Amino acid sequence: MEFPAALFPSYFGAGPPREEGGPAPAAGWGEHGQVLEAGPGRRQAETAFVPRRGGKGESWEPADAAAVPVLPPNASCWVPLLAPQDILYHGILRRKLRTGKSGAALDFTKQLGHFFVDHPEDAFGSLGQLLHKNFYLGNSKLRRQARDSTIRMTALMEEINCLEARRGCPRRHLASRLRWFSHLCRDWLFEVPLGLLADCVHEELLLQWAGLLFDESPTGGALAWLPPEDMGAHVGRLVYPGGQAMNHLYFQDVVLEELPRARGSPAQFELNGRIRQVAAARVDGEDFVGIRSDYHCGVWRVPGRTGAAPTPLQVIRTSVPASCLTVSPHLPGELAVSTQSGAVYLWSVEMGLQRLRHDPQTMFFRDHSPWRWSDFTAHPRVLSCADRTGLQCLDARAPERCHFDLFKVGEEAGCQQGERVVLPMYLGRAHPSQHLVTTQFSVYVLDERLPLVPVLKWAHMMKAPPLFAHLTPGGPGRSHKVLLGTSRTQELLLLQYQGGSQSACQLVGSPQKLHSIAGCLQHLPTQLPHRHRLLQQRLGVPAAGLAAALQEDGPRESLLVFQLSEAGDVFCQRLTHEAAQPPAPTSETEAAVAPGSSPLFEAPASSPPGLGSEEEEEEDEEEQTFYLSNVEVIINEEEEEEEDEEKEEDVAPPGAPEEAKLPQEPCASPQPSPAAPSPAAALRYRRWLKAFSKGCREPPRHAWPPTISQKRLFTRKELESPAGPSALHRQARQRLRQAMREGGRVQRWDPPAPQPPALPQPPEPEGSPDTLSARLTASWSGDWWQWWEERTSFNMAQRQRALRERRRRQKRARGRRSLSASFTSSLTYQSELSELSDAAPPPLSPGRPSVLPQEGSPPGGSPPASPVPEDALLSSQSLRCRGIPKERRKMLRDYLAVWAEGPPEPPEPPGSQASQLCIPLSQSQLSSASQPRRKRPRMGF
Amino acid sequence: MLQKQWKRAAEFLTFYIESLEKDFSTEYMGPSEIIWRIGTEILCHHPHSSMKEFNSFTEQMKTLGVKRYLKVCLEHAFHLLCNGLTDEAYQNLSLAESWRFGEQTAIQDKEMKLIQAYRGLLDYYSWSKQKNILLEHGQDGFEDLSVEQEMHSCFRKAAVNLKEIIKIPGVWDLFVKCYVDLLEFYGDHNEARQVLNEYAYNSKFPANPNAHVYLYQFLKRHGESKKSLISALKILHDIVPSHELMIDFNTMLQKSKKRKKRQLALEVIFAALDYASWKENVKAWSCLARQVKQIVISEKHLDWIKQEWTSRKDWWPAFHFSRYLAKRNWQENERLSYEKALVAGILLGKDCKYFKYVSHQGCKAQVKRFRILKRFVNKHNPVYLRISGLSDSSVQP
Repeated sequence: MEFPAALFPSYFGAGPPREEGGPAPAAGWGEHGQVLEAGPGRRQAETAFVPRRGGKGESWEPADAAAVPVLPPNASCWVPLLAPQDILYHGILRRKLRTGKSGAALDFTKQLGHFFVDHPEDAFGSLGQLLHKNFYLGNSKLRRQARDSTIRMTALMEEINCLEARRGCPRRHLASRLRWFSHLCRDWLFEVPLGLLADCVHEELLLQWAGLLFDESPTGGALAWLPPEDMGAHVGRLVYPGGQAMNHLYFQDVVLEELPRARGSPAQFELNGRIRQVAAARVDGEDFVGIRSDYHCGVWRVPGRTGAAPTPLQVIRTSVPASCLTVSPHLPGELAVSTQSGAVYLWSVEMGLQRLRHDPQTMFFRDHSPWRWSDFTAHPRVLSCADRTGLQCLDARAPERCHFDLFKVGEEAGCQQGERVVLPMYLGRAHPSQHLVTTQFSVYVLDERLPLVPVLKWAHMMKAPPLFAHLTPGGPGRSHKVLLGTSRTQELLLLQYQGGSQSACQLVGSPQKLHSIAGCLQHLPTQLPHRHRLLQQRLGVPAAGLAAALQEDGPRESLLVFQLSEAGDVFCQRLTHEAAQPPAPTSETEAAVAPGSSPLFEAPASSPPGLGSEEEEEEDEEEQTFYLSNVEVIINEEEEEEEDEEKEEDVAPPGAPEEAKLPQEPCASPQPSPAAPSPAAALRYRRWLKAFSKGCREPPRHAWPPTISQKRLFTRKELESPAGPSALHRQARQRLRQAMREGGRVQRWDPPAPQPPALPQPPEPEGSPDTLSARLTASWSGDWWQWWEERTSFNMAQRQRALRERRRRQKRARGRRSLSASFTSSLTYQSELSELSDAAPPPLSPGRPSVLPQEGSPPGGSPPASPVPEDALLSSQSLRCRGIPKERRKMLRDYLAVWAEGPPEPPEPPGSQASQLCIPLSQSQLSSASQPRRKRPRMGF
Repeated sequence: MLQKQWKRAAEFLTFYIESLEKDFSTEYMGPSEIIWRIGTEILCHHPHSSMKEFNSFTEQMKTLGVKRYLKVCLEHAFHLLCNGLTDEAYQNLSLAESWRFGEQTAIQDKEMKLIQAYRGLLDYYSWSKQKNILLEHGQDGFEDLSVEQEMHSCFRKAAVNLKEIIKIPGVWDLFVKCYVDLLEFYGDHNEARQVLNEYAYNSKFPANPNAHVYLYQFLKRHGESKKSLISALKILHDIVPSHELMIDFNTMLQKSKKRKKRQLALEVIFAALDYASWKENVKAWSCLARQVKQIVISEKHLDWIKQEWTSRKDWWPAFHFSRYLAKRNWQENERLSYEKALVAGILLGKDCKYFKYVSHQGCKAQVKRFRILKRFVNKHNPVYLRISGLSDSSVQP
């Protein structure tokens, strides 16, 4: 293979990673990286350049709305995985710790307690047997002679129960009796010394927690696709683990159709360990499948022709968990094995194991992780070895002498601080000397002919480190497709790159996110809540493997991506290659969305014309709606027009009215409305769900209806001697007993002396309640009549007198005033006037107080004008005596006159107005014909 | 963006920008970085974006973050270059080069050097354009002084900038090639050789095979001695045994009269064929076949073959000479199968699966050379025994 004549420029520095402020939030986007002259040596008028990133890639569009199950659900009752809440401390302590930011609080005591309860024989076996005569757990009193050699433990038990019930309570005090007991017997009671046991439990907890944070055991993935010998055949083989403990290995023939379908029953092998990794490679037309579990690795041979049974070849056992198993793509029956002790072996089925390296230390700098990896390279006798710090290549013929560094976490590759190798992979099928290295931040493509300098780098921005990768090589002139998968978050990312021999490596196209297993939840039929939750849990388990199959059907190409979950379910999605078609799909989907999304606008147009009158009535509102949507349309007009151009003219005729365009309006910014799954996929979902729920129906043994012990809530003493049963208690008990005798229910808990609910007291009128609320209050409490009386006769004269008195006082206080001051005073006067007239309706009594009079409408409608105060106030004499200048008196009088008449309303003489005002409702109804303008009373009475 | 919904992404980004209240322009990481990166990406893919919009967006981004100015300029220039707008890119780079703001950080220093280098590269391209014009017209006896002057000024500008960057450790294939071209044109061979030597042998630089290739090509162009050519290729062989120049190296060595060199030739071709990428390379196999045949016929230096074969005999049969490969090679490439069968017959004897299958098929197909091959291998079967060390003393020719 050739080496590119020129590489993209880059700096090269040695040393530890540069100190930077962590990964940039959108580190990968928006960069070309570098540029290079395209087609070196070509003489052109204008030199063309190609970017390292951002070139045109192939378009692979997902064919379905979500991933579809390929196989029926794995063993129905799967053991739920360890969740953080199982080993973390709940309650106050945790909250305290969280605020202190001291990391996770492992619930160590709970686990230890579980051990004591679940394995009492192991925990206290011998001493328990020795002492059981001396411990008494009953409730009755001990007899005298027994008392000498026996202790009554009941109280202690109660205290323990009590303690447990008040767990998390801040006011919990350690009972002195318990402390005393534990001091006394801590040293001799336990079968295993407590300190030792505690150390072991704590260590295990830490391990489990570390596994929860990042589980490296499934690295590489436990799913493999063995393609058919000739690409024309549509039957390949899927290799995956299954069973409750994921310890069954299946080889399943799968027919690649629109949705891949299993054919026949799978070849099955039962192994004695959970399958962590399935690796496969094809050499000389035969597939070799390597299986890694923690302490065993095995290799199977699968003949290329379809239907041939896989044969197990060899198994090895390791004393330390193996962390890697890869199959050689060069030589049949050769594998590379790494263990957590730092050993790397070349394993040949014929020759056995050859240890190439044994180094518990990491290669380039110190890292605590025991994880190791090894893979093959372009030279069949050279293996790459990896740990978290980098990759080295070893020659198996002289591993001590011949080795070189391929990748280093450091400045050489432009790494960040804290970056660690997560998964290396040999990309031999794309280019014999290329390797892929993923870290938690980036993905690198390396060429072993140019070690240490990555030929490609891309910040993948995935939420979890990619533990799985799959390569689908592209032919000449095509791009290679790399799929990256994470475990915990189930993410799948498709990257494309090309080059490596004639031209330098380029990342082409934009990265593309694929469906995850959990994403199909929304397409499943609606479930009962608890079932839904179960399903959610099941679909949301971490992914355990990734595989892909390229299907070529004449000109149509599609990539089937399989994803395995840790529960053993295999899902699949199809990506179709859009080579010849123009970029139509976006407008297509938008057009598909449009008609369904705007029924509101289409309905009036299609409705029969018989409903004219009703429509007229609602016209106002509808116009408003249209108007509003018109406003929205204007905002997006430009974009919409362009879209119309794309969609060709016949979709929307040019002469169509404005409303005709409206249905398209929502598609200016299409929601990510998930297209519905195809009928075939929906059928798959239903079948899968049926099988799943059938498996779940049989309740697991431990899931009996929960029983609640009251012992933990109350002490025996509290239960036995209630502090003198009250009458209420007695009555309640009686009722309960009666209900039990009758077999009925206690329906309502009536208090002993049923009191009718007190009517709401009228609220105390506040400082100065307005008339309306006062009246409402009065009518509510039923003494409206009284209120009316009070109102009309409420010492009108007295109030007027008081008012006058006040004004006089004010006048005296003012003494000589300037014009402006007098003007102000006139203003105050006026406001006082209005206040008075407002507060004093005409002193007329309505005929029937139980019915509200017409006058109920607010004062603005027909102001009650009382002639008595008006006359008294408007007389020039009185005005003068109030210190109002002559020239203003007229104005004021006019103004008041106008005001007294009431603003615009009836221009009737005050007399008739007054008579009208006092007409009760019954009379006003009679006279309603003469007053057509009063449509309806404003109040609801 | 990961689902290629560029329009929606653009909408969200606008909302994001509108919702920002603080001035973030002085922070290196942060919203302005996000806006620049995501905005650029969207504009690269958005169906309605245009170059004009892209330019105006980038100009705004340049002012948005002082610390990122150079990076944005560089990326802008890349974008222009990839779209064929070389002149605009040149203007951009010149503008960026004159930019000064406070003290430069190490990263900014590197970016500035890259900007200068790319400007030098563009200067080089305009130089070579003018050179071509001059050469064309020069043949007609027409000389244009102004064009020549301009060309020289381009040379000076390019040389200064290119010279700077290739001093710093890195992969500068593009720049080194251009700089050497410039120097060669003006006859400064010593400088060119020095540059190439530095690029190839300075231990601070990465082990770039191209550096050695350039040196080798330079030496070859200038008719250097075989010895220096061989020493240049020897180093390339040491770092990349699978390089395609190994065929040239092998032929060059085979022609040599020195025994040591011919032994090296065998070593080189064996080493190249170790690699999966050479598995089906007819040229390499014929090289090996020719040399092995020579050695077998001359019956000298059989120990060379033996030496090479010892470390390979446990895996070459499965790697190269399996029955499956015999079938496939015969079907796909008859010549390859012929060369391989010859080597297999000599190395593994006449009972080797590969040789047996191919010679049988060849004879069946009435191809003459396969019959000759069969006779040759049968005749020299004892060689196989010696090579494989089965009988060292009993069968002496």
